[in-house]
Amino acid sequence: MAGSRKRLSPADIAERLRAQFGDEVLSTEEVHGHPVATVSPARYAEIASFLRDEPELDFDFFDFLTAVDYRPKDRGFEVTTHLYSTRLNHHVRLKVECDAEDPRCPSISHVWPGANWFEREAWELFGITFEGHPHLVKLVLPEQFEGHPLRKDFALMTREAKPWPGAVEGEEIEE
Amino acid sequence: MSILDQVEMPQPVKFILNWGRKYSLWVMNFGLACCAIELIATSTSKHDFMRLGVIPIAHGPRQADLMVVAGTLTDKMAPALKRVYEQMPDPKYVISFGSCSNCGGPYWDSYSVTKGVDQIVPVDVYVPGCPPRPEALLHGIIRLQEKIQKEDIREKWSGRLTQAPLTS
Repeated sequence: MAGSRKRLSPADIAERLRAQFGDEVLSTEEVHGHPVATVSPARYAEIASFLRDEPELDFDFFDFLTAVDYRPKDRGFEVTTHLYSTRLNHHVRLKVECDAEDPRCPSISHVWPGANWFEREAWELFGITFEGHPHLVKLVLPEQFEGHPLRKDFALMTREAKPWPGAVEGEEIEE
Repeated sequence: MSILDQVEMPQPVKFILNWGRKYSLWVMNFGLACCAIELIATSTSKHDFMRLGVIPIAHGPRQADLMVVAGTLTDKMAPALKRVYEQMPDPKYVISFGSCSNCGGPYWDSYSVTKGVDQIVPVDVYVPGCPPRPEALLHGIIRLQEKIQKEDIREKWSGRLTQAPLTS
């Protein structure tokens, strides 16, 4: 069925994105054999639709979406979306940087319905508001739970009583 | 409730009653994580806790005498555990199986894990390990049976805790 279509290399996928969206693709790199593109929040949903609908890219499978808390190192939050093409067997990751104080990110649940629950999970665990999400309510946490537990400044009751005995940041181990 | 509550039974009657109860424990499988696999292994032919009179697996809490909480109890799951325990008919027993259900185990600092099921239900025997081997559960069951044999049925059925919890 995809006679003329073939698996694209990470560099080719990054090139296609830059050719289509120019400066809206803020940076591209290759990590573990996958292209990773940091994109502007304004056109994130549009880029997602393009990746799905373009026959040469054909990202028909939404793999996962998650977030990273980079505070307080001069950065805020980052939303990571991993996409896969089941027909062409190539991957791509999209990253959107969010504000540290009021993290917001456009929703892509209208592009892939599978993103709906992942965005709800990232919302409750990191407190990132997904604008345009149809039903942003708690998914896995108990109803009475307060706070966003995967934020770095979330106070763990047990650790207040007994501090973590080992390294706190990963860098301490590498040194 | 019955004549057992009102009259002090002679020692031989008490012995036979408790002896009968301790070898007829219908177990409620409250498997929550990997410890549940060890619990299931204990019920199968190699370890076979039916030779101790533990009958796997009760069709529901209303048919069960013993609940084995095997695995990580989360705060969200805790109300369900409480509810299942309340549905079990007296006299009822709880074995806390594995580090997670004993004290939170490797999730001691987690935001979502209950640090010990004894915060929710009274525990009769704690079985340590991560996960404990099936032999450890067999030992825990034997400890529980020793406890049942010594029990004063009037006190147990009145709902008062008669003996301190044990560790297998």
